Amino acid sequence: MSVILSVRDVAKSFGDVKAVDGVSFDLRPGTITGLLGRNGAGKTTTLRMINGIFFPDRGEIRLFGGDSKDARDRVGYLPEERGLYKKMKVLELLLFLAEIKGRASAAMKGAAEKWLKRFELWDRKDVKLEELSKGNQQKVQLIGALLHDPEILILDEPMAGLDPVNVVLVRRLLLELKAEGKTILLSTHQMAEAEKLAEEIVLIHHGKVVLGGSLAEVRASSGKSAVHVDFEGDGAYLPTLSGVAGGRVDTNHAELALAAGADPQALLRSAMERLAIRRFEVVEPSLEEIFIEKVGESTLEAERTAAA
Amino acid sequence: MKKPWAVFKREYLQAVRKKSFLIMTVLTPFLFGALMIIPSALAVKGVGEKTVAVVDGTGRLAAAVAEGLRAAPADDPGKDAAGSLERPGRGRRATLPGNVRAEYVSAAGRDPKEAARPYLDRLHSEKAGERLDGVFIVPGKAFEDPSLTLTYYSRSSTDLIVQERLGRVVNRALERERLTGRGLNPAEIDALLRDLHVDAVQLTKGGEEKAGGEMNFLAGFVFVLLIFIPVLIYGQEVMRGIIQEKTDRVVEILISSMTPFELLSGKILGMAAVGLTQIAIWVAMGGAFAAWGATAAAAAGVNLGQFLRPTLAVWFLVFFVLGYLINVCIYAVGGSIVNSEKEAQQVLGPVIIVMMLPWFLVMPIIMNPDSTLSTVLSLIPVYTPITMFIRILVSEPPLWQVGLSVVLAAATILGFFWVTAKIFRLGLLAYGKRPTIPELWRWLKVA
Repeated sequence: MSVILSVRDVAKSFGDVKAVDGVSFDLRPGTITGLLGRNGAGKTTTLRMINGIFFPDRGEIRLFGGDSKDARDRVGYLPEERGLYKKMKVLELLLFLAEIKGRASAAMKGAAEKWLKRFELWDRKDVKLEELSKGNQQKVQLIGALLHDPEILILDEPMAGLDPVNVVLVRRLLLELKAEGKTILLSTHQMAEAEKLAEEIVLIHHGKVVLGGSLAEVRASSGKSAVHVDFEGDGAYLPTLSGVAGGRVDTNHAELALAAGADPQALLRSAMERLAIRRFEVVEPSLEEIFIEKVGESTLEAERTAAA
Repeated sequence: MKKPWAVFKREYLQAVRKKSFLIMTVLTPFLFGALMIIPSALAVKGVGEKTVAVVDGTGRLAAAVAEGLRAAPADDPGKDAAGSLERPGRGRRATLPGNVRAEYVSAAGRDPKEAARPYLDRLHSEKAGERLDGVFIVPGKAFEDPSLTLTYYSRSSTDLIVQERLGRVVNRALERERLTGRGLNPAEIDALLRDLHVDAVQLTKGGEEKAGGEMNFLAGFVFVLLIFIPVLIYGQEVMRGIIQEKTDRVVEILISSMTPFELLSGKILGMAAVGLTQIAIWVAMGGAFAAWGATAAAAAGVNLGQFLRPTLAVWFLVFFVLGYLINVCIYAVGGSIVNSEKEAQQVLGPVIIVMMLPWFLVMPIIMNPDSTLSTVLSLIPVYTPITMFIRILVSEPPLWQVGLSVVLAAATILGFFWVTAKIFRLGLLAYGKRPTIPELWRWLKVA
């Protein structure tokens, strides 16, 4: 398994505040990885370090194995806040952004036109940025991040400020880019969004990685997965099967809680040995549930206590 | 080189396309012209009409005063032709008030102080016709006793020009009277007292003779301003640009794409090109004016050609660029460590005053281009551009000094670039908070 971006034990403090405290993760080429966390968890600081804006206090960040001279030019970055020259015209700005990524602006005109048209901004190509709406500025910023055809795209809250139609537009685009073999790292606190896009998850909390891995692994590791089975036969023995943490068995229906790390496929095989299975459904907890379980319990608990 | 070039292009085009650039470029020469012409015009016309009373205790100066005030410039003939801003031949010095009318009062045998009393009252008279601007008192024994003083009463304590002129007239009259007392006739005295005009000539090492004098002052000031104005305007512009990039967060995109050194060199050189463009336009605009001016100057006996030597143009370019880069780097450091323009003014105010030092010393430097002060200043890199350029303009400093100053200034600029890039890079770490001096120092060491 090759690694296109590796972050090793990276830390960054601002004064006494440890914004990032020993974060490690890898990006595999051609995947979409979601960097999740609450506000202030250290997502943006991590992305800024990857982009060379902050120097880490310790740890190491390697792009493309660490020996690429033009590594920065092969990365596209969408910052959290809009970072655009407000007085420049849309097309002019985009060509400038491609140029500082080492592309000749003349060669980029075609690509810029293609993207502007796709984002319904072509007729506004000679309008100053400050005259665009926030959502349109965000779209320009996104085009700026991918115009120079980078291999890695780092997107800090790419959906912020977009209307639902644009959200779908961007989501489709990201999946398309992934299909083309691009590697995407996106930060978000919208779990539903991450669930639709990301196959790899890095969940950070108070500057530390609290959960990482593929979406499936993350779900399995949460220990909250359940199996719903409709069957014919005597299912009373089902809760005693290995991998089952407990459950409730009715006449033709059982709801079983899976033990952490248990393989539902193995469970299905054992169940089929003695029962006719009509329906077998793995009910996975949503990312949001996992998220709240991992990082939000204490906060919500505190709130409940306060309310009571 | 591609990335600095992209930044250079952007900075240049954005600045040159601005309306304010066009307006500044067109208006500045006119403002300049107005600034230079209006005060001298005022000095000639507005202040010129003065009425003074001369109370003469000796009673023997009536003719001398009348003649002296009428023909005052005759004291130094020839100087007018070169020094006057007006056309030659009018016989009046532009630097002096045009006209002083004197009411002569003979107080022979009386106490001149007593005799002057009614005139002193008229100093503050409300009636326009009666009002006097000054009263000049000559004591009765002025001819006999050289320890006495002449007294000039006026409403303002700074009416130096009239005071000077009346003093000269009376002293000349006293000289004449004393010489007449020794038995010389007036014609002989005139011949004896005739001043010779001093012609200022700069002799170059090559043996070339160049006209010296007042035009050199004027040229010195004009060139100093030409160096200073763009620095002030575009230094601010660079600083504002950097602060803007920080507040707009564009800087994240820039820094994730190139090194701070690449960014700053593109930026600063781009702005330097803007300044040079502006000066080129001014020179072109000035061309027409200069053609007219040169004709006028030639008529006045001034050889303007000596200020427009090609070597001087080269030196101007060299020192303009040096001065520009040094100052802009300072502004860039300022822009890197602060987060708003208001803050920047506070931080940079004192620095700018220190940088302006040569501006306040233009006079002594022009007058003593080879003095220790001038030499030392011209070798201090931040002061080199202006000081050394003035020295080259009005004198011929040793070539090794010129060379050394250029090398020192260039080295300083490289150092400044390096420091600026570091501070700029590290200033970003302090998003939203101005670093303390120890922090700045630590940053310099770390990166």
